[in-house]
Amino acid sequence: MTLPILPTTMVGSYSMPGWLERLKTDYFARRISRHDLDEIHDAAVRSAIKDQEMAGLDIVTDGELRRDNMIDYFVERLPGIQIDRSSKKFYYDFYDSEVLGKIPMAAVGLVEDFRFLLANTERAAKICITGPHSLCKRVRNKHYPSEEALATDIARVMNMELKELVKAGAKYIQIDEPYYSGFPEDINWGVKVLNILVEGVQAKIAVHICYGNRYGKPSWEGSYRYLFPAILDAKVNSLSLEFARRGGEDLDLFREFKVPFELGAGVIDVKDNSVETPDIVAERIRKTMKAVPAEKLYVLPDCGLFHLPRDIAFAKLRAMVEGARIVRKELGK
Amino acid sequence: MGLSGDQDSPGSKLNLHLNHTHKDSAPATTSEVVATVLSLLEDGQMKPAQFARLQIHLDWLQYKHNFREAVTVMQGGEEQGEGAAPMEIRIDSRQVAPGSLRALLQNAMHPAKPDEDTGRIYFEGFRSFRTSIVWEFNRLYWQRLKDWEKATGKSYEQALPGGKSDGNQAQGVAEAAADFWTLLKDLESQNRLPQEVFILEIGVGLGKHAGLWLDRFCALDQGRGTNFYPRLRYLLGDYSLATLEHCRPAVKNHLDLCSFIALDAMDPIKTLSFLRHKVLHVHSTNMYDNLPDEEVVWRDSRIFWVQSRAYLPPGDAARISKACDVAVADIPTIVDRLLDVGIAALPDRAKGMIFWMEVWNAMRTEEKLVDAVDMPDASFPAGLSSAHMEDILRTAPNDLRFHLSPGALESFRNTLPLLHPRGYLQVQDIFATDLQDYSMGFHGPGKLDGSIVNWVNGALLREVAERAGYDLHFAPFKYRPGSKTSVLYTTRRE
Repeated sequence: MTLPILPTTMVGSYSMPGWLERLKTDYFARRISRHDLDEIHDAAVRSAIKDQEMAGLDIVTDGELRRDNMIDYFVERLPGIQIDRSSKKFYYDFYDSEVLGKIPMAAVGLVEDFRFLLANTERAAKICITGPHSLCKRVRNKHYPSEEALATDIARVMNMELKELVKAGAKYIQIDEPYYSGFPEDINWGVKVLNILVEGVQAKIAVHICYGNRYGKPSWEGSYRYLFPAILDAKVNSLSLEFARRGGEDLDLFREFKVPFELGAGVIDVKDNSVETPDIVAERIRKTMKAVPAEKLYVLPDCGLFHLPRDIAFAKLRAMVEGARIVRKELGK
Repeated sequence: MGLSGDQDSPGSKLNLHLNHTHKDSAPATTSEVVATVLSLLEDGQMKPAQFARLQIHLDWLQYKHNFREAVTVMQGGEEQGEGAAPMEIRIDSRQVAPGSLRALLQNAMHPAKPDEDTGRIYFEGFRSFRTSIVWEFNRLYWQRLKDWEKATGKSYEQALPGGKSDGNQAQGVAEAAADFWTLLKDLESQNRLPQEVFILEIGVGLGKHAGLWLDRFCALDQGRGTNFYPRLRYLLGDYSLATLEHCRPAVKNHLDLCSFIALDAMDPIKTLSFLRHKVLHVHSTNMYDNLPDEEVVWRDSRIFWVQSRAYLPPGDAARISKACDVAVADIPTIVDRLLDVGIAALPDRAKGMIFWMEVWNAMRTEEKLVDAVDMPDASFPAGLSSAHMEDILRTAPNDLRFHLSPGALESFRNTLPLLHPRGYLQVQDIFATDLQDYSMGFHGPGKLDGSIVNWVNGALLREVAERAGYDLHFAPFKYRPGSKTSVLYTTRRE
């Protein structure tokens, strides 16, 4: 499948409908069954895929609507991690989880999600997973001598899962590591475990690093300067960074460090309900192109659209696609 | 307090619920109320079906000055018999003259027919309390505070229960400044201290809190040699330009750091959108309790909206007419003018002032309950969906009347986006921190001088906060003995 120049995609999550939130919470309150919830998830994911197609995205995701949040979906699948299932009242809360022994190698079970996505779209498909650095920050470590050691074992297990995903047809994989921004002092070992995670995975791999989007607000502030030069050692194809909300100052880092990666540039502010016009999006893309050539650019929102109302999320995607088309036209593509 | 007993009629279980009694509440003591109600039942002036679902709230009014008659009766909905909503009788014993309770109860139980002339001067039709004219009077008070203070001879702070605002309590301010310094120190240690440190105060009063806080922070910063003070950007926000002007002298030593910004307390982000996620501390004192409010009743798994209409009792209307040389029939028109131009509504400004005070002091509200199913367009405040409310009420006590606090919720929701990831909101106000609090007594609205005083539903704020990514905490205001104020503060929810 050939992508156009300036391909458009989501970071991962799509708008979480209020009705789905309530049903998920009903499930935790044992008011609906797992079977019913699975069916509900299937319907919601199909709808999210359809919205992305209608908005005109070149690469689609499953909208991550099966996930309660970016952590729990993975920790409850990772073997060897103990979860206190009574620890959450609202579906979006985090479980209390802890690791008491060495994490064994076992399947995580993401392949089914990806197959469902492939079966429901003819567009290029991307699967997104939370990276080991971010996961280890939410798991109480009662076994490993260090966070790095825990993250390394998580990376090994997830590496096997990524290879299974590739076998199932995954060509675009995104690793989410927002906690890098919260713990910049970890960046050297964070990149090391990232490389263990992607070792031998034959797909186009992006790493998404933002400043957090929990409850639709940033968790940290600062500059991407902390990433450099450590991130240059990452064995990934592209970086996905947020620029719409924060402005494009950090784009200078790409020139300063001669960054070899492609860039997934955030051009949609996901923490603001006002919808950007295509012209604003186009201007943001042009600004990015001063630091990174169009051939190495992907066009994305700053982060997941999880917290935005569906109509706004959809309108933002439409504006993003239109903005990309404006610039493609200017480029004669 | 609850009383129950079997009545003679077969199958009729009578429940009489009295609450919030006050030991000094003569003459309407509990026993007198019970005896009076039983005698009305025996005399056939109250139907057994009414009695079977009767609720009496004795001494339910907390505020000496309020919007109620001595005895009011409210019946929810039109249904009769088993499905009938309980009749509520509310008695403010402070207003009940000795020996008058029976007559007052009889009167209240037989309200005038819709077309019957009661002599009351109505200012509006039944509506949500949040859109009532009483809030226009509240606005008038704050916009023309000087006129009121001149007429009463005391400042609005002197009218407060403690004689001054809790927001200006020196030790409380000092500790708040020290807490903020600690946050800045922590951010600095992580190399995350912003170049400009924004602080926002909403509802600035006379500026005393801002002045005290800045004095204290400056001293602390100099004493510890941290040099944070010059980085402060202290924003004083208020909807009244006159108030912003008045508060300047209180911060005269810090004018270089201060900005005076006219903003709507219910929508700070609209004015300050350029500071989204940048403000490290937002403070307000006694502001939420003065934002428009309305109430709902949760009863038998149904939600009722409380609708009200403001009026002047006939005796008060006649008295005001005489005192101010205006015809009774002209009072509503003059009230409109008063709300527009202040005391210049009358040619003689002194009489205009008397008119304002007298109308305000005499103003009452009638109430009725409307089943939510009959008001499909009525909506809960932003941040609270019907489904969300159902979740909240699932575990709430039955027969609960509580504030929705839409003004406070709106302000809260529209302030949170300003907060820096490490920022926090601190609000000193009177909060019902649990829905159960509403079973324990009345929480407003009342009148405090020329303004409205009303408790804020902290329990609903907590729910909205959780969904917005914050945990809310309430701590008693410990710096003034007997204070009913609590301090709300936010912490980030992980």
